Amino acid sequence: MKRKPPRMTQATKMVLRAMLADPVADYYGLQLIKATTLPSGTLYPIMARLEQAGWVTSDWEDSVAHITEGRPPRRYYRFTDDGAEQASDALAGADRPAQRRRLDFGMPWPDLPGMSP
Amino acid sequence: MNQPASSDPLLTGLLARIASHRPGADGQLITRAYQAAAHWHQGQTRMSGDAYLTHPVAVAAILAELDPDDQMLCAALLHDTVQYSGYTLAAMRQDFGAEIAGLVAAVMAVDGIAAEQVHAIGTDIAAALVGDRRALVIKLADRLHNTRTIRHLPRARQLDKSRQTRDVMVPLARTLGMDSIGAELESRAAATLSGRPGGTASGQLLAVAAAVLPPGARDRWRAEWLAELHYLPTRRERIMFAAQIVLGIGRLAAMLYQPAAAIRRAFGVVLAAAAVASGLVVGGWRAAIAVSAAILAVLAAVLWVLRCDDRTRRLAELIRAVRGHR
Repeated sequence: MKRKPPRMTQATKMVLRAMLADPVADYYGLQLIKATTLPSGTLYPIMARLEQAGWVTSDWEDSVAHITEGRPPRRYYRFTDDGAEQASDALAGADRPAQRRRLDFGMPWPDLPGMSP
Repeated sequence: MNQPASSDPLLTGLLARIASHRPGADGQLITRAYQAAAHWHQGQTRMSGDAYLTHPVAVAAILAELDPDDQMLCAALLHDTVQYSGYTLAAMRQDFGAEIAGLVAAVMAVDGIAAEQVHAIGTDIAAALVGDRRALVIKLADRLHNTRTIRHLPRARQLDKSRQTRDVMVPLARTLGMDSIGAELESRAAATLSGRPGGTASGQLLAVAAAVLPPGARDRWRAEWLAELHYLPTRRERIMFAAQIVLGIGRLAAMLYQPAAAIRRAFGVVLAAAAVASGLVVGGWRAAIAVSAAILAVLAAVLWVLRCDDRTRRLAELIRAVRGHR
């Protein structure tokens, strides 16, 4: 599988910042949804993208609790060995202030009020 | 607690939970009961598809918080072995002693008590009927787990069980002073009896969304989303969660199908076919090129939309900014 770094969209950055709050912890989807206030339909494609990039890994929770409570096991996400480092590097690079911001269709455009990074 | 070393996560999880409520419990004895249950339930499954063993383990785990003694915990682990396998009460008496075997027999007998009897004669006589008051507590833990997993039963059996829960088990729990269990049994039974057949709306939305994904990924994502539903307390939150996933399923599917490669391949095939077809129909290479160019444009637009995460948002911002600037 190609391991190209994930596209640093605004939503992706929000998810990475939420996970970097504690880089070794496990996170459930709902936790990240609450922390980032992203809708579920936005979060899960981002998690799939982070998994494909090899920054994040996921697994089923492993405890007697879900058996007792009669509910299915949840899936949790955590950074891979170098995932947290790559994520914080990418965040640092992406937040670098731009002298001139180029839009994706290639035209230079000066900073306009109301445009966020 | 004296815990023999084990690599079985179900056993270690159970022992950990028991130890946290009753550090003085006899881990060796409980482990023996677990191993017997594992042996006699081997190959059996619950309606949910999980190994049957998870049910007696769950009953023992629920019981752990209700101030049980070692015999009750063992009886919880063994309570379904006689009914569903070749294990006999006589053999159990040999292996685990008369008290545990007697408790299991009593738990099995609770099913025989009808609703009218509980109301009419009260708990003490009910306990006397089955021989041991502790058996009623075990039975309630058993019923609680079954009620939490009732969605895996066919609808008719769900209704039957829920009526019996409401009419027999809930009053039993109240008279035993087990109020929180009684309350949970009551609310779950009521929910099942009043609910719609066919599953919840949010569950159905998620099943539909998952069906769009590639076959290898469907089960994982549907299972993940259904599990998260249990942590959304209101119906509105569950529907919102499911609806948002439906709206975003195109992007997830695009990512999992790895469309760039697939679209390029499909594009090549479609282009070639269209060129040949239009060439044949119109009788000229100009028509073939025009059709190919049109298909190219459409596919490029589709790719652009699929790959954008917040490009449309930035475009909207740009438009707003430009309007604002004026």
